Amino acid sequence: MRPPSRARATLAALVVSPLIAGCDAGAAERGLDRGTGPMAQEVPPIRRPTRQDTELALRLPPADEPPGRHAFYWTRAVYSGSRGRGWGRPAWATDFPKGDRQFLIVLKRLVQLDAYDFENAVPLDDTDLRRFPVIYAVEVGHMDLTQEEVHGLRDYLNAGGFLIVDDFWGTREWAQFERNIRRVLPGRPIVDLPLDHPLFSAFYQIDEIKQVPQRDRGIYGGPTWEQDGVFPHVRGIFDDHGRLMVVINWNTDLGDAWEWAEHPYYPLEYSTYAYEMGANMIVYGMSH
Amino acid sequence: MDALFELLFKYRPLVFEQGELAFLAPAAVRLGLLAAAVAGALAVATYTMARGRSVLADRMVMAGLRVTLLGLLLFALLHPALVVSSVVPQQNFVGVLVDDSRSMQLVDAEGRPRSAFVADAFTPGESALLQSLADRFTLRFFRFDSRGSRIEGLHELTYAGTHTDIGTALEAVQGELAGIPLSGLVLVTDGADNGARPLTESLLPLQAAGVPVFTVGLGEETLAPDIEMGRVELPRAVLEGSTLLVDVVVTQVGFGRTTVPLLVEDDTQILAEEEVELGPEGEPVVASVRLELQRPGPQRVRFRIPVQEGERVDQNNAREVQVEVRSDREKILYLEGEPRYEVGFMRRAVQDDENVQLVVLLRTAESKFYRLGVDGPNELEAGFPRTREELYAYRALILGSVEASFFSHDQLQMIADFVSERGGGLLALGGRKAFAEGGWAGTPVEEVLPVVLSPPAAGPEGFLAEIKVFPTPAGAAHAAIQLGREGGDSRERWAALPPVTVVNAISAVPPGATALLMGNGDDLPAPQIVLAHHRYGRGKALALTVQDDWLWQMMPPLEDQSHETFWQQLLRWLVDDVPDRVAANLEVESVEPSEPVRLVTTVGDSTHIEVNDADVVVRVTDPLGGVSEVPAEWTVERDGEYTMEIVPEHEGEYEIEVSASRAGAPLGGDVTHLHVGPSEEEYFGAGRRTSLLRRIAEETGGQFYTPETVDSLADDITVTGAGVTLVEERDLWDMPALFLAMFLVLGTEWGYRRMRGLV
Repeated sequence: MRPPSRARATLAALVVSPLIAGCDAGAAERGLDRGTGPMAQEVPPIRRPTRQDTELALRLPPADEPPGRHAFYWTRAVYSGSRGRGWGRPAWATDFPKGDRQFLIVLKRLVQLDAYDFENAVPLDDTDLRRFPVIYAVEVGHMDLTQEEVHGLRDYLNAGGFLIVDDFWGTREWAQFERNIRRVLPGRPIVDLPLDHPLFSAFYQIDEIKQVPQRDRGIYGGPTWEQDGVFPHVRGIFDDHGRLMVVINWNTDLGDAWEWAEHPYYPLEYSTYAYEMGANMIVYGMSH
Repeated sequence: MDALFELLFKYRPLVFEQGELAFLAPAAVRLGLLAAAVAGALAVATYTMARGRSVLADRMVMAGLRVTLLGLLLFALLHPALVVSSVVPQQNFVGVLVDDSRSMQLVDAEGRPRSAFVADAFTPGESALLQSLADRFTLRFFRFDSRGSRIEGLHELTYAGTHTDIGTALEAVQGELAGIPLSGLVLVTDGADNGARPLTESLLPLQAAGVPVFTVGLGEETLAPDIEMGRVELPRAVLEGSTLLVDVVVTQVGFGRTTVPLLVEDDTQILAEEEVELGPEGEPVVASVRLELQRPGPQRVRFRIPVQEGERVDQNNAREVQVEVRSDREKILYLEGEPRYEVGFMRRAVQDDENVQLVVLLRTAESKFYRLGVDGPNELEAGFPRTREELYAYRALILGSVEASFFSHDQLQMIADFVSERGGGLLALGGRKAFAEGGWAGTPVEEVLPVVLSPPAAGPEGFLAEIKVFPTPAGAAHAAIQLGREGGDSRERWAALPPVTVVNAISAVPPGATALLMGNGDDLPAPQIVLAHHRYGRGKALALTVQDDWLWQMMPPLEDQSHETFWQQLLRWLVDDVPDRVAANLEVESVEPSEPVRLVTTVGDSTHIEVNDADVVVRVTDPLGGVSEVPAEWTVERDGEYTMEIVPEHEGEYEIEVSASRAGAPLGGDVTHLHVGPSEEEYFGAGRRTSLLRRIAEETGGQFYTPETVDSLADDITVTGAGVTLVEERDLWDMPALFLAMFLVLGTEWGYRRMRGLV
C-alpha cells in the first residue's frame, strides 16, 4: 500500500476538522457501546431520520436564482423504485440532504470549485436535468425506472451527461441496477475501470479501490461488506467516442463516508478515500 | 465640335491651349492705332451728343455697337498671333505602343475585333494617320502585354498576351527611347490594365521627363450582355475540413435581376452549388458560398457561373483560386482557472478534429493543475508558461475564468505580445473571474481584448443574466459562426438554441472591433456583446462572453450538432493565419510560363524575433520532377525577410520548399505551391477603361482619342510634344470668327436703325 502522502494528510485534516465542529458534542457523553469493531468503545448515538425527513421536498436552486449563478450544482438523480434500506425513505434520498451538504463543504475546501452550497435533486424525466451535466444516484439496487425516466436518462447521457452511481451491494442489487441501466444504454458493455484510468488521477492519485463501509459498520466495526458484496468495484460505461458516461461504485458506500465523516469514530481511512474519489469524479466529470 | 471651332478660329482648341497670345504689329502702327482709337472715341462721343429723331437709348446702343466694331478692327490691326512651340519635323521620335494582349481580340457589336483598328491605322501605305505621323516624326513601334518590347512591324503582334501592365510597358519604352528627342508616346490599347503596381509610379518618370502620352482607347466601354465574376475571397491556406464562407463578387450587364447558378469545383468534383440573384445593371453583388476542403495539399478551386445565352465574353464567368489545404495539427492552450463544464464540452466538441490539439491547463486548487491533451509529462509541468519560447509554441491561447492576478506582470505582457508580436490567436471566455470581474482592466491584456470592460457589478451577488444569442449582420456573413454544415439560414439555427447565461456585462467593443454575436435578455441593461473580434498587431483576439455555452450541447435534441460545429469553426478560425516561424509567401499564386514571381520568406527564432543572419535555401520542384536549390537573400530593407525570384518554365504545379537555419541549427521551414498556366485575366474588366486612359493623358500632358477622333493626332503631337522644338507664330488676324463678328455688329446696327426708323 502506498504510504500516506502529505496531500492525503491535508485532506484528512480538511475532511474532519470542518465537520467535527458541527457534530453533536454531547453525543459522546451519551455514547453507546455498539459492537466490537475498532471503534467499539463509547460511541455517540446517531440521529435517525424522522418520518418528516422522508417527505422530502426536492431542493432546487431558489426560484430567484436561475441556474448559472454557480459553475457546479451537486445534483441527485431522483428515480422511481422501491424504498431503500433505511427508514422508509425513497432509495434515491438515502443520506439526503446531509450527505450532499457535507460533501459540498469539504469538496469546496479541496477543489477550487464554484459550487452551490446546497443539495439539488432532479427527477430523471425532468428536462431540467440536462442543466446539470454531473448527477449522482445512490441505492440503485432499488431502482425501477419508468419508461420516461429511461428515456430521460438515456438522452441525458447521450447529450453529454455524467452519472455517478454509489451505495449498492451484492449480486442481487447489481442485477437490479444492471437490468435498469441496460434499458437506458442497451448493448453498452459495463467494464471495470483500471487504476490507470484518468478518473483515478484527475485530482488525487488513487492507487487502490477501497471498500467504504456503511456508517454503522464503519463506526462500530465488523465486516465492511454487505450482503455478498465482498469486493469493491469501480466500473464504467463508455460512449462511442470512449467517453466515460457512467461510473459505478459497487459494493461500497462513498455517500455514507461523506455524510458521517465528521463522526469521531468513523474511520478516517474511508472518509479520506471517499472524498478523494468524490473530488476525482467531479473534476473528471467536468473536464471530460 | 473641334472641327467647328477650327473653322471659326482657324486652329483647334489644343493649339490655343498650348500657345500664347501675342500682338505682332510694329510700334509705329500701334501708335497710329492708338490715335485712331482716340479719334474713334471722340466720334462716339459725338454720337451721344447728336440730336434728331433718336432718343438717348438708341444713341447708347448704336454707340456700343460702333465701339465693338472699332474694337474688333483694332484687334485685327494689332496683328494678333499665337506663339506656339512646335516640334521640328523629322527631328523627333514618337513611340507607338500597341496592346498585344488577348483582350484585343474581343469583338465589338459589329463583329470587328479591337485589333482591327491597329491594322487600319498603322499599315504602311494604307493609313492617312500613319502617313501624317511618319511625315513629321520618326516612329518606333512597340508591343506590350505584361511588359513592352520593340517590334519592327505589325506582323509581330499576336494578341495573345495574358496580362496587360500599362505602367511597366510605359517604363520599358521610355527606357528604350531614353537619350533621343522624344516628342511623345502613343498608347493604343483598350485600357484593360491588370498590372499589380500602382500606375502613378510609372507615370512619374514620364512627367519628370516631360514626355506626353497620347492614348487611343479601343473597344466599347460596356460589353453587354455579360456576366462577370469580379473577385473571389478565399484564404490562401486553410486547415483541412474547415468550413469556408467564400465571398464571390458578380456583376451583370444586360441580363436584368435574374438568378443564375454558381458552381464550385475542383479537378474531380463539384464542391458546392449556390443560386445567385444578380444585382442591378452594372452593380456588383456579393454571393456567399459555403464549402469544405477535405483533401490536403495544393488545390485549384474553380468558381463558375455557366455561360448564359448571348454573352459577349464567356471567359470572365469563372475564377480559379489556388488554395493550400493544410493537414497540420494546430496546438491551442486553454487555461481554465477552476473546474467548469466548459472544459469538458469544448474538448468533446473538437475531439474528432484531427487538425486541432486542445491542450488544457485546468487549475483545480491553489497551485495545482490538471493537464489534459499534453504531448508529454514535461509539457506545462510548472503551470502556465513563464517564457516566450514556451508560450509561443502554441498557436492560440484561450483564457477561461481566471483572474488577472494569477499571472505575473511579465506573463500578462507576454500574453499581449503573444498576440501582437507572435501573431497568435487569443480567445477570452466569460466567467466569474474573467474580464472586469477578474481584474483584467488596467492590465496589458485589456487593450488586446476586442471588448470594452465595464466596471464589475456591485454587491456580493454580482451580475447574472440569461440571454438569447443572435448573429449580427457581420456575424451572419462570417464563416466561423455558421451553424450546420448543410447550409441554410444560420440565423434560424441560432434562434433555436437555448438561452445561456452571462456574468460579465459587456455592451461595447473598441474602435476597429466587430461584434459577430449579440444577446438579448430581460435582465440586461444593454444588449450583450457575445462574440467579438479584432486584429491586434500580427494576431487576432476574440471574446466569447457567455459562461455556459455547453447548454447548446446539453439542451437541444441529440441530433443537433450546433455546439460541435460552433467550436470547431471558432477554434479553426482562431488559429487561421497564425504565422509560422518560417513562412514562405509568393506574391501571386498563379503565373504563366516564363513569368517571374517573387518569393518572400520571413524567418524568426523561437520567440518569433526576426533573424537576419539565417541561411535560407529554397528548393523548387517543377512539374516534371526537376529540382533546383537556390539560396534566398536577406532584403536588408526589412528584418527577417528573405527574397528570391522564381521563373517557372513549365505549366503545372511547382512545389517550393523553404528551409532556414542559423549557424547550422534549424529554424524551421515551410512549403508553398505555385500554379503555372495560361491566365484568363485579360477577359475580366475588359471594357474600354476610358477614365484610366484619360488620366494617363492628362497627367502627362497628352490627349485621349478614340478611333473616331484620332485623325488629329499628328497635329496635336506637333504642338504639344517634347523633343526638338521651334517657336512658331500663327496669325490670328485672319480668323473667320473675327470677320464674322464684324459683319454681325454691322448687320446688327443696320437692323437696329431700320427697326427704329433711324435710317
